[in-house]
Amino acid sequence: MIKSGDLRVFDPILSTATITGDHGYAIYDTLFALNSKFTPQPQMVGKWSASDDKKTYTFELRNGLGWHDGTPVTAADCVASIRRWGQVAPGGKLIMARAKDISKKDEQTFTIELKEPLGLLIDVLANLANPFLFIMREKDASRPATEQVTANIGSGPFKFNEALAKPGASFTYDRNEKYVPRDDPSDGFAGGKVVNVDRVIWENISNPQTAFAALQAGEVDFLEGPPADLYPAVESDPNLALQVLDKMGWVNLLRLNCLQKPFDNVKARQAMLYLVDQAVIARVINPDPKYSHPVTSMFGNDTLYSNDENTGWYKKGGDPEKAKQLFKEGGYAGEKVVILQPTNLMGLSNAAQFLAAALRKIGINAELAPSDWGGVVTRRTNKGSVEEGGWSILITGVPDSTLSDPIGAPWLGAEGDKGFFGWPKIDEYEALRAQWADTPTVAERQVLARKMQAVWWDYVPTVLLGQGITPSARRKTLTGLIGMPGALPMWNMQKA
Amino acid sequence: MAAYIVRRMLSTIAVMAMVGIFIFLLLRLSPGDPAAIIAGDAATPQMIAGIREQLGLNDPLPAQFLHWALGILSGDFGGSIFTGRPVLLLISQRLQPTISLSILTMIVSVTVGVAFGILAAWRVGGVFDRTLAAFAALGFSVPVFVVGYFLIYWFAISVRWLPVQGYQPVEHGLGPWLVHLILPTVALSFPYIAYFARITRASILEVLSEDYMRTAAAKGASSYSMLFHHALKNAGVPILTVIGISFAYLISGVVITETVFNIPGVGRLVVDAINNRDYPIIQGVLILASGLYVLVNLAVDLTYTLIDPRIRY
Repeated sequence: MIKSGDLRVFDPILSTATITGDHGYAIYDTLFALNSKFTPQPQMVGKWSASDDKKTYTFELRNGLGWHDGTPVTAADCVASIRRWGQVAPGGKLIMARAKDISKKDEQTFTIELKEPLGLLIDVLANLANPFLFIMREKDASRPATEQVTANIGSGPFKFNEALAKPGASFTYDRNEKYVPRDDPSDGFAGGKVVNVDRVIWENISNPQTAFAALQAGEVDFLEGPPADLYPAVESDPNLALQVLDKMGWVNLLRLNCLQKPFDNVKARQAMLYLVDQAVIARVINPDPKYSHPVTSMFGNDTLYSNDENTGWYKKGGDPEKAKQLFKEGGYAGEKVVILQPTNLMGLSNAAQFLAAALRKIGINAELAPSDWGGVVTRRTNKGSVEEGGWSILITGVPDSTLSDPIGAPWLGAEGDKGFFGWPKIDEYEALRAQWADTPTVAERQVLARKMQAVWWDYVPTVLLGQGITPSARRKTLTGLIGMPGALPMWNMQKA
Repeated sequence: MAAYIVRRMLSTIAVMAMVGIFIFLLLRLSPGDPAAIIAGDAATPQMIAGIREQLGLNDPLPAQFLHWALGILSGDFGGSIFTGRPVLLLISQRLQPTISLSILTMIVSVTVGVAFGILAAWRVGGVFDRTLAAFAALGFSVPVFVVGYFLIYWFAISVRWLPVQGYQPVEHGLGPWLVHLILPTVALSFPYIAYFARITRASILEVLSEDYMRTAAAKGASSYSMLFHHALKNAGVPILTVIGISFAYLISGVVITETVFNIPGVGRLVVDAINNRDYPIIQGVLILASGLYVLVNLAVDLTYTLIDPRIRY
């Protein structure tokens, strides 16, 4: 298999990289998992219950769980893993803040005692936003969350083959013969994780043309996210197929630096909503119209909470005259607008250039700051002015599925300079967001989502550029791939 | 001679030390933060700050340099910031592909390039000479990756004689090792064959115009004897110089070929490390490469004495 990117960090709690999450799903297991309808299902947990006052949850592990080193999985491992995950994951932090006690009761049982009920506890444990709650051995999970676990010993359906690991070149995963799958059928990330292949090798072929040639020649079976210009070549090859595994895809967006001029002014932020024509810029990023769609809800497209609240006023975008007027009303006085341009991510790099040209056309002093993604992720942490090495606009992409999770997705926060890059501060929104975890039903959360979105688009912390779906290419002999957003599991797949 | 070799070896240490200081400062002063890359796209600023602290990236630069330099002096090149694996292990995993590709390329390039150059000089102005001129122009102007893609298309996808990509270690068998290296070697040799052929041709033509060659002809020496016993030996010094320099360039310049043919060599290791800001790997490879560069030059200088008895150190 050829993955998108290179596995650089093994610890799925330390890193939020998608490929590290995939590695996590291969070798670790989870307490709960989302099925294809995004409903949490027990995975490592056999039985669980909540007390009548919903303050004490008791979890009992199912039988047969064992680490790759031969020792059994215990409740103490789960407790340590939850605590470590709770240091970094937004959902985990929420649980830690609410928890009175998390402790093991016996070798297979542990409890979470809460100070006050948390209606979404199980949903948070089965979270869909990286970092996922993978269960590690107690001795690994006892490390600080900022210190990498490199042991690669999990209890999941695949074992990491340390002897064949060649960082930067290839990683090998062997079937865990001792893994006991659940009896129920595979469904999303949930159900029985049955491994039908003896070994999976992740080849790191960074050159897309070579990767595609290797797929054509049958040297590899799967190519994750080939460039759009290769889609016709895949479709014309009788041995290959394009398959959309993550139907929700990614939403590309602009983060505006709300701490610095000109985007510390709401008029300038609103101007950006008028300026951006998603129909055009989405095509710049993803040229095939079959795989790109406009998106106007802050909760993404086709999620449980997508809605049209407060979107009517800017919906069409592509109105440079209105944008120019708003910049003027916002007191724009020729300040430099620096756009971070990730040159090694073609789609986002193109979008940055397109945006800079659109801004210059309406008299904005736009300047590109080109660097590789490594440079972008560094510079985006700078809260200073552009003269001090800061920035004005960050172009990035987030999984559409995460936009339904205002607890787990940091880009849906608005807590100011302690929050995600761009640092919007909207107290009214934060007060509404705080109610999310205690809003028990989907219908009630949908009402809450509309209120949150009304405030969000008044403030404009982000500007959406559209939803992009990226199909993968596979040889037709490889079947049974699980289509879920956020990660690509390897169980269930078969090779003829 | 022995004193000369010792002096040159000592200079190698000085060169490596200077490279070490320069690279260390260059990396630390360049934009980029490995902690931000480790943490990933969805990381919060707090996560990044925690990782920076854990990795010691907040320590003062002199302290970081001292820690690294003392490690090098004790033979410890440190570990990858990302995977935690020892730098020397990572480099050793990548050395064999790069050295295999470089040596095979050099053998093919020197053999074919020098032979073509001799033939062209022997029949200067003839059909072969003119054909070689055209070939050399192509070799210099067509990028290696273009040649690589053509070779992949014809030999790996169309007729399926050879694999598209990858590398098999020599311990898995000489056959698979060679089969995986044929296309990359041909692609990478293309410009070097052109270069060596042109240099050989020019050097031999220069020697052929010397008085002593005319004297040899007057004494009845055969064309073969004139070309191989007199001309080639005297033209050898500039050819050897070019080959030595090219070998050093080759080792540091195989990155594109390694990328096109997905060969897990040192070149790709460095490029990935630069993208990730994995400082210990970049520093380790460059320190070793600088040492190798100096040693290759020393070897070339010593070989001069074998070709030209007038040269003594």
